Amino acid sequence: MATSTDPEDRNLSQRIDAWLDEDMSPRRAIGVYLVLGLYFAFLLLPVVYMVLASFTSQSFLFSPELVPALGDLTLANYETVLSRGDFRTYFYNSMIVATSTTLLVLTVGILAGYSMSRFDYPGRGGLLYAFLSTQMLPIVLILIPFYILMFSLNLVDSLLGIVIAHSVIGIPLGTWLLKGYIDDIPESLDEAAKMDGCSHLSVLRRVIVPLAMPGIAVAGFYTFILSWNDYLLVSVLSQTAGTRTLPFGLQLFQSQNAVAWNLLITAAVITMAPVILLFAVAQRWVVEGLASGGMKGN
Amino acid sequence: MATQTESQYSRYKEEFSSFLTDTWIGYAFVIPATVLLAVVIGYPTLRGLYLAFFEVSLLNPEQMEFVGLQHFRALAADPIFKAALWHTVLLTALAVSFQYLLGLGLALALKEKVPGAGIFRSLSMVTWVMPIIVMVIIFRFMVQNGFGPVNIILDSLGMRTTYWFGEPGVAFPLIVVMHVWRNVPFYAISLLAAMNSIPKEQYEAARLDGAGPLERFRYVTLPQISYVSMIMIVLHVTFTFKNFDIVYLSTGGGPLGNTEVLATYVYKQAFEQYALGYGASIGVVMLILMLTFTIVYVKLEEVD
Repeated sequence: MATSTDPEDRNLSQRIDAWLDEDMSPRRAIGVYLVLGLYFAFLLLPVVYMVLASFTSQSFLFSPELVPALGDLTLANYETVLSRGDFRTYFYNSMIVATSTTLLVLTVGILAGYSMSRFDYPGRGGLLYAFLSTQMLPIVLILIPFYILMFSLNLVDSLLGIVIAHSVIGIPLGTWLLKGYIDDIPESLDEAAKMDGCSHLSVLRRVIVPLAMPGIAVAGFYTFILSWNDYLLVSVLSQTAGTRTLPFGLQLFQSQNAVAWNLLITAAVITMAPVILLFAVAQRWVVEGLASGGMKGN
Repeated sequence: MATQTESQYSRYKEEFSSFLTDTWIGYAFVIPATVLLAVVIGYPTLRGLYLAFFEVSLLNPEQMEFVGLQHFRALAADPIFKAALWHTVLLTALAVSFQYLLGLGLALALKEKVPGAGIFRSLSMVTWVMPIIVMVIIFRFMVQNGFGPVNIILDSLGMRTTYWFGEPGVAFPLIVVMHVWRNVPFYAISLLAAMNSIPKEQYEAARLDGAGPLERFRYVTLPQISYVSMIMIVLHVTFTFKNFDIVYLSTGGGPLGNTEVLATYVYKQAFEQYALGYGASIGVVMLILMLTFTIVYVKLEEVD
């Protein structure tokens, strides 16, 4: 690479070399960018196009034009969607349900994860296995007995019922992730705290929770998006507009015969925005954590 | 002498009682999660399994008539069930194969140390994070006739345009594409983490032994990502096999039953035909197939 004699040229190649990693030739870098470009065209173009289209006028949206002119851009769709009181209710419901679900799953998950990591009792291994095997159940199989149960507990058409339904979906994986992180905390730290007179609960609060924070972030994020994104359970449990969350509430903009596409895609952008923002904030832990979570059992 | 045995005895007593309290505290901590799961998942599951042996209608769930294995015999003769079973197996096989291959490719590309690779890595999870209903809206919007971008492009190329989810022969591949689109990034990120944990020295040693890039991939990379690969494959086989909302929200099983899968068929039997027992028996078949797959796959992996 550095054999070039032309000073201008050497300068450039040195700059590229400094910019690239030592094992990386410029030709290889171009190939990598090409592959990544193809992947991200496939994965992201549809999303980007929908977001762009949500900022265009109805007349552009329904025209056979691909690219909007500057004059086609407008905030009108957002004004219409956000001015609807029922849509705002769905948004608040989603926030309340996803936040409460996350708190509930983290609370019982940290307790269960701590128990499974630190205590030895008959049935411990089988219990974790039983937790995880619920992930394999087809939800459609349990939907009806589940509905009848929730009905008899008076939890149909209430946000609390939805929170409980989402929590039991999130608890198994949440507990498993948290147990893995707690396993990594040296037990000598709990022992030291206990020597200082801490009870189990204060060991949890002062030692385990602070040190397991990255794991709590991962489990919390996973639970939040699971709850935020759920359609099926809400569609069964919610019977009136007062308990709808966003994914189920999107039907507001489509009827049997007609779909208000401009409003529907705008509402869809608003529905995915919070989880994508949350991901952007948490991705530092989440990307590593979800990935390493899969390897914990190794 | 007497005092010694006494102190020994009291030490045993102390240890025994601390064992007891520790055990009880351990149980106490795990109880909230266990009770929630047992009541809200465990009970309905057992009830669902039980229903599969009864004739029972959603309109009057109190009245049950025991029919033994009659539903399972009826399934064997039900053409819609057989079609749905075939679609489910085909969908799972195609989706997971493409996800794995494309995910592996993306992981290899993301592993390269090009400037900006971190940005690509973060961006990649967007499709996995968004709600399924939003993904379905995106895809349905893309293939709308007249104004969907896919059809605008097809039209400008002089090709046929239509609402592609309504087209037999195209709807099913589109469902596969949605499954792949959604989950490829998760495979990539997980496989990437597994690849990054392989010590660099092993690649150096292989290089010194004269192994080319393909051989290094085959003999160093592949064996060391096999555990994560297994987790990913089991996870996504079960996810795809039991998934309900991707099909239900995009095609509802149509056109003409072309994309009917087991999950949507259970739902329709139970909530549209009110045949709870028959629906439950399909759910039982799904559960048995998934358990069998998982056990066989994990055993095979152990043998390796």
